[in-house]
Amino acid sequence: MINFEEELKKFHPSLEVEDAEEAIYNQDLTDMADLLVKMIKESEEQESAN
Amino acid sequence: MFCYHCGCQLSEHDFCTACGADVSLYKKIMYVSNRFYNDGLEKAGVRDLSGAINSLRQSLKFNKNNIDARNLLGLIYFETGEAVAALSEWVISKNLRPDKNIADDYISMIQSNASRLDSINQTIKKYNQAYAYCIQDSKDLAIIQLKKVLSLNPKFVQAHQLLALLYMDSEQWERARKELQKCVDIDRNNTLTLRYLKEVELMLAPDENAKQPAAKRKKDNTLRYQSDNEVIIQPLNVREQKGGGVSTLVNIGIGLVIGLAAMYFLVVPSRVASIRSESDQIRRDLGEQLDAKTLEIQDLEGQVNSLQAELDEKTQELENYAGTDGTLSSMDNLLAAAAAYLDTEDVDQAATNLESIADSVVIEEMPESFQRLYNTLLGIIGPGLAKDYYNEGYRLYYNEADYEAALEQFTKAVFYNNDNVDALFYLARSYHRLGDFNNANLVYDDLIERFPNTDRAKRSQEFKNDMAGSQ
Repeated sequence: MINFEEELKKFHPSLEVEDAEEAIYNQDLTDMADLLVKMIKESEEQESAN
Repeated sequence: MFCYHCGCQLSEHDFCTACGADVSLYKKIMYVSNRFYNDGLEKAGVRDLSGAINSLRQSLKFNKNNIDARNLLGLIYFETGEAVAALSEWVISKNLRPDKNIADDYISMIQSNASRLDSINQTIKKYNQAYAYCIQDSKDLAIIQLKKVLSLNPKFVQAHQLLALLYMDSEQWERARKELQKCVDIDRNNTLTLRYLKEVELMLAPDENAKQPAAKRKKDNTLRYQSDNEVIIQPLNVREQKGGGVSTLVNIGIGLVIGLAAMYFLVVPSRVASIRSESDQIRRDLGEQLDAKTLEIQDLEGQVNSLQAELDEKTQELENYAGTDGTLSSMDNLLAAAAAYLDTEDVDQAATNLESIADSVVIEEMPESFQRLYNTLLGIIGPGLAKDYYNEGYRLYYNEADYEAALEQFTKAVFYNNDNVDALFYLARSYHRLGDFNNANLVYDDLIERFPNTDRAKRSQEFKNDMAGSQ
């Protein structure tokens, strides 16, 4: 049985045009490639340090 | 594909041919990203937009520079009514690759049409308002607002879902199903849509399985079907009572008797009271009208009386003015007196005429021109006449002791010259001698008042005192 109050929590206000700029700036763009490059650089730095 | 270290084009080898960096893992990440993009593209092709969104987001988690994936994600967002999310993806895409990027066209398409952008914003604002109504439990307002939203943007999946949820809450299952069906037409594999649809289908087909909820079982005794926009609910298993014809007739008879009795005891008294109340009201109205008419008649009678009195007064006044031949006798007499005096200088005739006029009218109430002519004439002939009358009166008073005749002469002397103190004194004396103390007192008082500190005044006072003593 659907519980209206519980279901309503799954909805959220839609982003308005005025909020677009903030949404773009706040988006986390870090991807797996970034993480890989970072890991490789860190390992290279450790090797050179040793 | 380019090397993450030096940016050179990568070959089929697992290392960069330019800088020698190991790119095997990097290549796998790029492959996975592309794989997710392909998956998203396939899902978008069959309108599994939710699935496509998931795949494309996964693709971008592996490679944020996957421009095709980002642009497609923006398109799918736009298709589901999430215009701002779509714009965000396209703007990021445009920043990552400024040239030769189709996102540029998408952004231009929206930004070039200000009314369209405004319409999109209005749609979103209305949706948010509807959501706020839901939070405030104003569900009717929310439904109205969501209908407006969907008229502006029929592909707004989230608005369809919220509207369906509201319909489900108010048990308008058929309407909910319609909304959810529209959601399915846009996005075939949305989990929320499918879950709601399953619930609605369960409610609309209660006899198909035994897993229906307890609340629904209560409605098993009804048959529901759709007629246009209305859901018809027809009760089932309602048995008609069977009975004999005689008992039916008896029941009808009893019913009639009860009905008549109820009418007699309930309806008739109230009707009688109602009629009585109406008649009382009519009687009161008539009484009020009668009072009003009586007052009006009294008022009119008063007006008639005052008008009659005024008419009598005017008639009398007119009679004073008009003679028997209809002419204004007073004016005529005055003119005649003036003409006679001017023609013959007959003072006696003029005096007779003036006396006649003075007897017939009140001089002070006559018109100004009349009074002026009268006074002028009186001023011309008055002093001579007054002297003659005084001398004659004096002779009659002292030589013949005829006080009555003397009174007449002194009266005329005073009439023609009111300032003659001797004539006034002997007028009073004549009254005194004749025993008319009232008039004698009046004339004495007049003399004392107008000619104080004279011998005549002192004598008048003495005679007044004598009269008071003798009375």
